[in-house]
Amino acid sequence: MTAHPREATVVLGIETSCDETAAAVVSGAQTVLSSVVSSQIELHARFGGVVPEIASRAHVDLLTPVIAQALVEAGLPDGGVEAVAATVGPGLIGSLLVGVSAAKALALVWDVPFVGVNHLEAHLYAGFLEDPSLELPVVVLLVSGGHTLLIHMEDHGRYRLLGQTIDDAAGEAFDKVARYLGLGYPGGPAIDRVAMDGDPEAIRFPRAMQDESYDFSFSGLKTAVVNHVRRHPEVGTADVAASFQEAVVDVLVTKAQRAAQAVGAKGMVLGGGVAANSVLRERFLDACTADGMHAFVPSRAMCTDNAAMVAAAGWWRLRSDGPTPLDAGGDPNLRLPVVT
Amino acid sequence: MIILGIESSTQQVGAAIGGHEGVLSAAHTSRGRRHAELLTPTIDFVRRSARIELHEISCVAVDLGPGLFTGLRVGIAAAKAMAHALRVPMIGVPSLDLLAFPVRHTSRLIVAAIDAKRGEVFYAFYRQVPGGVQRVSAHQLGSPDDLASELLATPDEVLMVGDGALRYHDAFDGLKRVELADQGFAHPSASSLVQLAHARALREQFVAAWELAPLYLRKPDAEINWTTRDEQGRAE
Repeated sequence: MTAHPREATVVLGIETSCDETAAAVVSGAQTVLSSVVSSQIELHARFGGVVPEIASRAHVDLLTPVIAQALVEAGLPDGGVEAVAATVGPGLIGSLLVGVSAAKALALVWDVPFVGVNHLEAHLYAGFLEDPSLELPVVVLLVSGGHTLLIHMEDHGRYRLLGQTIDDAAGEAFDKVARYLGLGYPGGPAIDRVAMDGDPEAIRFPRAMQDESYDFSFSGLKTAVVNHVRRHPEVGTADVAASFQEAVVDVLVTKAQRAAQAVGAKGMVLGGGVAANSVLRERFLDACTADGMHAFVPSRAMCTDNAAMVAAAGWWRLRSDGPTPLDAGGDPNLRLPVVT
Repeated sequence: MIILGIESSTQQVGAAIGGHEGVLSAAHTSRGRRHAELLTPTIDFVRRSARIELHEISCVAVDLGPGLFTGLRVGIAAAKAMAHALRVPMIGVPSLDLLAFPVRHTSRLIVAAIDAKRGEVFYAFYRQVPGGVQRVSAHQLGSPDDLASELLATPDEVLMVGDGALRYHDAFDGLKRVELADQGFAHPSASSLVQLAHARALREQFVAAWELAPLYLRKPDAEINWTTRDEQGRAE
């Protein structure tokens, strides 16, 4: 076993932290040979959110076929994988353990290193996977259904937490508001779609914590939306959705931009499931252009949960820390390893 | 024919390896509910102890449950991945069969019961047959009192095995003709799994990795609530 991967080391990545069953083969943290994502959205839609037990059951059923497909698409049906990386946290513990257990078993059979990967770090690496020319340091805005983080990435594996949400995650706010407006699940894409026909300036929703720290708060905004709809039932759903989205994007981009300027970042990276939002992507790019900063907004497929980013982050972790022991488990509350 | 057996459906996690010579090596850990952490090192330990190379394995057998969901999935996910990587078929055996098998030498009615939490047990009835046991009831989920009522109605001498019998012994202690096996029979054994799987492998009763499905016997709560809501909705 080698602790130092070659430039072209072939890593199989496995991701099962929430409701996507994913496997991917990536060479040298750069070249995606295959990336298979099996989404469970339809299984959870009628419940209006991810049901952990249903997610875990689906992972058990889907994971082996998804891995098989990733290996075949990568042209490696008979082996050739040189390391196996899997998300060990944060996430739903029952779901995480399905991927971790399968990954360790594969590493054992193939006699290659196993690498436990932090899901948040994997999202950071989604950017590098599509743009290896990205220069450090960068500021990363990581927004998903479970997290809203503003991170100063000084070097590979070296992160400073600049700010985070003090209540709801941005994606959670999208889901809750979409449910309230009767737009269905998942809320992000639903609001994005409806908002296209609305006026983002129709209602001036509050921008929480605008002048203070780099922390975020979205629960007040959600309440403001509910109160406004109660008081003004005549206002169209499209206008409410557009105005809500505008408020979220405004806060996210303003703070990310301010942080990037403050720490002297060379670039800004957007990541996480909410980064698939079309207005956020556009506004984020505009902000970077205005500041003459290198912007990186990964493709939508790379923003949402996938295993290519896990393989890429695994390559970097293998290089810095070596293999993870085979007696590793999962950690639902794993944090990003930040320096203080 | 070398068979690797993996079982993880109760608080115990274990692995065994064997074939026509019987069980060559086995290891179990029942403390700490650390299935995901312990399983891979345990598999590696039993195959090294038996001096077997992984590529010599011709079948991966796994405990299908019923049992504790998270532990069960750890074993099944690992077993499927191993079978896929080794390109060998699988054999799945229910956990309750594994509990009944070690007490096959009794002529009494065997009742295997696994703690299902929430005040319930997974259980099934077995009879001795030449070379093993045969299940004579469906796999069931019910309260210890439900099971005790069923036992009251049977005229047979009964031997109960499994952590479900021990945990809820209060429900069974007063029953005449019913004996509870001790802690040594509380968990499904990986050795029994290898023995039972070997008999099936000789008859080529294999399944492919993608066909093998766990026996949950209980729906996810959300689905139960949803069904209840649907039914209430229709009633209104």
